[in-house]
Amino acid sequence: MKEFELEPGEHVVLQARKHWFLFLAGMLPYAIIAVIPFALPKLLAFAPPFAPYAAFFNFSMPLPRAVLGVWLLVTWTSAWGAFTRYFLNVWVLTNHRIVDIKQRRYFSREVSSLFLSRVQDVTTNVEGVLPSLLGIGDIKVQTAAEDIEFTMHGIPHPEVMRDVILKYVSIDPKTTGV
Amino acid sequence: MPDQPLQPFSLPTSLAALLPDGVSAGVAIEWFLYVVFAFWVVYTIVAVYHWLQYSHASWAAFPAIAAHLLISLALIGYALSGNASFLSQYLP
Repeated sequence: MKEFELEPGEHVVLQARKHWFLFLAGMLPYAIIAVIPFALPKLLAFAPPFAPYAAFFNFSMPLPRAVLGVWLLVTWTSAWGAFTRYFLNVWVLTNHRIVDIKQRRYFSREVSSLFLSRVQDVTTNVEGVLPSLLGIGDIKVQTAAEDIEFTMHGIPHPEVMRDVILKYVSIDPKTTGV
Repeated sequence: MPDQPLQPFSLPTSLAALLPDGVSAGVAIEWFLYVVFAFWVVYTIVAVYHWLQYSHASWAAFPAIAAHLLISLALIGYALSGNASFLSQYLP
């Protein structure tokens, strides 16, 4: 991580990204877009007035094949871009601080650090059937200054993250170097 | 509702008429593909820059970049020649 340098005695405890299920849910639109050229000719067959248009989807012809190739290339590249942004959004917990890295889009990156010595309250929130079954929830870390708050949505097992944060908050500041 | 069945799809000849003299539909499509691939190159460079700049030490960086390049190049090959390399068995 180039955004921050670890201090002497500091080490990374864990990194957290959004839950994989949320990532897969975000990939669903791309999957649907990718199968449209394959599904459309079959769907057109059910609508007789439009059935002749199915002839355009003859992918053995150079033009439809090129269109399909470009369609899939754009879809794949967009999905990969979404994965890139998913991967670059991360919380890093060290034994000294929490680093919140937000990659909103390309060339738009925000990195914030919150020292554990300032943590006043850690709140987790798991709401709904599916989040409860999969262990997806939010975590909110507040400091004594009311305006400073770190929130991360949709992380896996937020209660584990909370316990780890509180464990390092409760360690004697002298040993943490804070 | 139209009372006549729709005609099968045909390339819009009116668009071809808009092309400058000496530029065939084939050349126009070729240039369209160049533009798409140029956009893909720029997008890929930007994304790879972010991977290498911010996730260079991650185990996922190089496999992610390699997967993107392999699959993209296969799709580009498919668009141009119909040969999608290792993806051929999945494409018509």
